[in-house]
Amino acid sequence: MQDDVLTIAGRAFRSRLITGTGKYDSFETMRDAVVASGCELVTVAVRRIDLEASGDDIMSFLPETVGLLPNTAGCETAVEAIRVARLARAGGLPDWVKLEVIPDGRYLLPDPVETLRAAEALVADGFTVLPYMLPDPVLASRLEDVGCATVMPLAAPIGTGRGLKLRDAIGIMIEQARVPVVIDAGLGSPSQAAEAMEMGADAVLVNTAIARAGDPVAMARAFRLAVEAGRLAYCAGVMEPGETAEPSSPVAGLVTS
Amino acid sequence: MSACTVNGREHALEPGETVARLLERLGVAGPYALVERNGEPVERFAYPRVRLEGGDSVVVARPVAGG
Repeated sequence: MQDDVLTIAGRAFRSRLITGTGKYDSFETMRDAVVASGCELVTVAVRRIDLEASGDDIMSFLPETVGLLPNTAGCETAVEAIRVARLARAGGLPDWVKLEVIPDGRYLLPDPVETLRAAEALVADGFTVLPYMLPDPVLASRLEDVGCATVMPLAAPIGTGRGLKLRDAIGIMIEQARVPVVIDAGLGSPSQAAEAMEMGADAVLVNTAIARAGDPVAMARAFRLAVEAGRLAYCAGVMEPGETAEPSSPVAGLVTS
Repeated sequence: MSACTVNGREHALEPGETVARLLERLGVAGPYALVERNGEPVERFAYPRVRLEGGDSVVVARPVAGG
């Protein structure tokens, strides 16, 4: 397991937990949780500066060792997502992008057609694209074909913490994927993250479940341990469930026989 | 004096004002000030060179917390 690294677009990661930086009560808590999570990659959004009250800069709170993954949250079309990604890269942010194209405000479900369209254009423009998507194995294959570095299916809608509601479809994706599968969104507890990793997911992306926990820093550590445990279990080979009981103690030589 | 808009707000331009000078005047700190001019992203290395013109529509953005 010492050599068990996650490789995305040629870059090696020791941690299989990616965290989001949103929804924390303070940047200080966010920073401490990021450190406690052990993650090596965090998502950030891109927004217009408020010229009236610019506030603190998130960059001064993020450890320098942590990589940045700009997202296109808030974009409803491919054109908007491409615009945001290009703006971020031109200004010096990495050329990696968590591609989100979400026209639906109630369930925040991604638009597969616009996502594929944006992914193809961004890859052609030199971006490393990590697309957020519904767990659709066919769409995953199409996204791989256009050159996406990962596929990132949602477990349940963003921020709901409902766990692996779309488990079977994710299982098919894991079976068929040619790039890392990152479970992104909907995981509410460390056990759910462990379950995703035991299934064979390559990584998970967690934000709300950590940021909105009673103690976000402790929860970040809990997710770190759960992801490690789940990965270790997957690599170790989880036993096949049986229908009937099998005694764990010898059936021969009973004292009472 | 000519003016452009920055994030939708009118901004009176100094003669020869560059993107770098604009950021300085706005007091935008931090390592990542992201700039778009008339719908096109401006490359960071070009901030000291790109001069703004009257009527330009400029967007200044930055990374924020997000998932």
